[in-house]
Amino acid sequence: MYNYFQFILILLTVVSSKLFSQDILENQYNYALKLYIREQYYDAVTEFKRLSLFDTEKKYEYNANEYIGMSYKMGAKFSDAILFFTKAEMNARNNEELFNSIIEIVRINILRRTISHAYDLLDSLKKDERFTIKSAEIDYWKGWADIFNDNWFEAAKEFSKVDSTKFLAEFCYNVEKEKYSVSFADILSHIIPGAGQIYTGNYFSGILSLGWNTLWGYLTISAFLDNRVFDGLVIGNLLWLRFYNGNLQNSVKYAEKENLDITNRALDFLQSGYSGKKP
Amino acid sequence: MKNFFFTILIFNSILFSQEKNHLTNDSLFSPYNIKRFADFLYCQKDYLRAADEYVRYLGLIPNDTIEFKIALSYSLMNNYDEAAKRFNSIKESSSFYQPAQIQFLKSLFQSGNYVQFRNKYSHGTPLNDSNDCGGVASLYMFSFLLTDEPLPNEDEFLMKFPALEKIQMKSFYDWKKNPPEKSSIIAAIFSTIIPGMGKIYTHDYSDGIFAFISTLGAGYLAYDNFKAGHNFRGWIFTGLTAGFYGGNIYGSAAAAQIYNAHIRFDFINDLETYLEDNNYFLKIFNFCK
Repeated sequence: MYNYFQFILILLTVVSSKLFSQDILENQYNYALKLYIREQYYDAVTEFKRLSLFDTEKKYEYNANEYIGMSYKMGAKFSDAILFFTKAEMNARNNEELFNSIIEIVRINILRRTISHAYDLLDSLKKDERFTIKSAEIDYWKGWADIFNDNWFEAAKEFSKVDSTKFLAEFCYNVEKEKYSVSFADILSHIIPGAGQIYTGNYFSGILSLGWNTLWGYLTISAFLDNRVFDGLVIGNLLWLRFYNGNLQNSVKYAEKENLDITNRALDFLQSGYSGKKP
Repeated sequence: MKNFFFTILIFNSILFSQEKNHLTNDSLFSPYNIKRFADFLYCQKDYLRAADEYVRYLGLIPNDTIEFKIALSYSLMNNYDEAAKRFNSIKESSSFYQPAQIQFLKSLFQSGNYVQFRNKYSHGTPLNDSNDCGGVASLYMFSFLLTDEPLPNEDEFLMKFPALEKIQMKSFYDWKKNPPEKSSIIAAIFSTIIPGMGKIYTHDYSDGIFAFISTLGAGYLAYDNFKAGHNFRGWIFTGLTAGFYGGNIYGSAAAAQIYNAHIRFDFINDLETYLEDNNYFLKIFNFCK
């Protein structure tokens, strides 16, 4: 009888100490999570790191690293975020967690424009048989990688694979249609100086370019017609050619600038007007 | 039997409470665990959080090693102003006083506060510098290369550097004493006499040749058009020639200033690289063994 009570006594002591220790870690996890939810990311990282250090059984290791990564991401510390998402990946307890942590790494790579890494990771996920059922989500992030890679047509193709992202597909097609063709602007300016600028809506610059080229072209040709060959060569080389080349560079520059504006407007819209998942 | 059971319950509750107290004392925010966590962060190079945790620990238990580590954390974050303040606050009675004073001076140097660095070095506590890699005395002399104040004489300057460094330091010293700068006035005068010559003087060879050809070309065109009776065109090219000529004079003066800024930048860059390469700021305190 005495032995029986002794056993109960020891058992109670061990179980209660164990339970209490788990309580501490659980409380710490909840405290850190509360900080994260309140958007106190600096403190959240500290408390999740504290949890991670004392969680000797690694019960919270995945979640702690995942939240540390998210907090760093919110603070735009992308390299740190990737480091902790990678730790989360290594501590994933199932395929779902593994997939989520890799997708978080992909999202960071999209955000910091290391798109080739994002493509590589998405390709390896696509080939992995464990994630066949996640194919739609992989395509979705591939579409976002294409957007940030300024490849709106490819993005539209990726989004059109899934019904729920048809809106994004249409949006990307429209952006692609709205963009100017840089090579067309260049060709136009080769044929008529200033026409490339006018094509991109920069009328003043286009007319100015046309005016300068007409003036120096006229002076060059009239010098040759007057048999002042040296004058013609000097004006042609030093002035007309310079203005002609400037016109070509200008038309390309304007087309690229206009395209950048269109892209930025589209990204602004997606950031504020699109409610789905974003990188 | 009833009494026995009761005794067991009491005993168990005491034990449980002791265990609980033990866990409470040893909880995540006990001084021991705060320090453990701070050390963990420090060794993970998360110095900002490490400093915060060390400060929290210091609020519970005074410890001069921790004070030193806080200062070191700020130094490792390149927050040299805060590091200097923290190093300087370490008391004379502490075993870390000497290294803290050396780090204090180095922090002043690294924060670019050279005047204060020299004042504190000259009038502060004499330092036993034998263990300090690099040496504050050398940094004292080095600081003259980074400011516009008069240099000490050459022998006095070179004396503070080890034999191996003397040749390089002499070349730095000579550069600082007679910097190979270009005069804006001379560049402008050269370009007034021969268009483009000022640019060649400032080593902008292609610009100089182009300025020469374009000014001469435009001048010739003005002359040729006037000669052929095309006065309107003649005046256009005269204006163009004047523009090229004036612009080239102004451009040459500006080029001299750009040249000077460029070589000064390179000089400072060389000095900083030299300090890095020769481990003047080497952290000899390894708390993460």
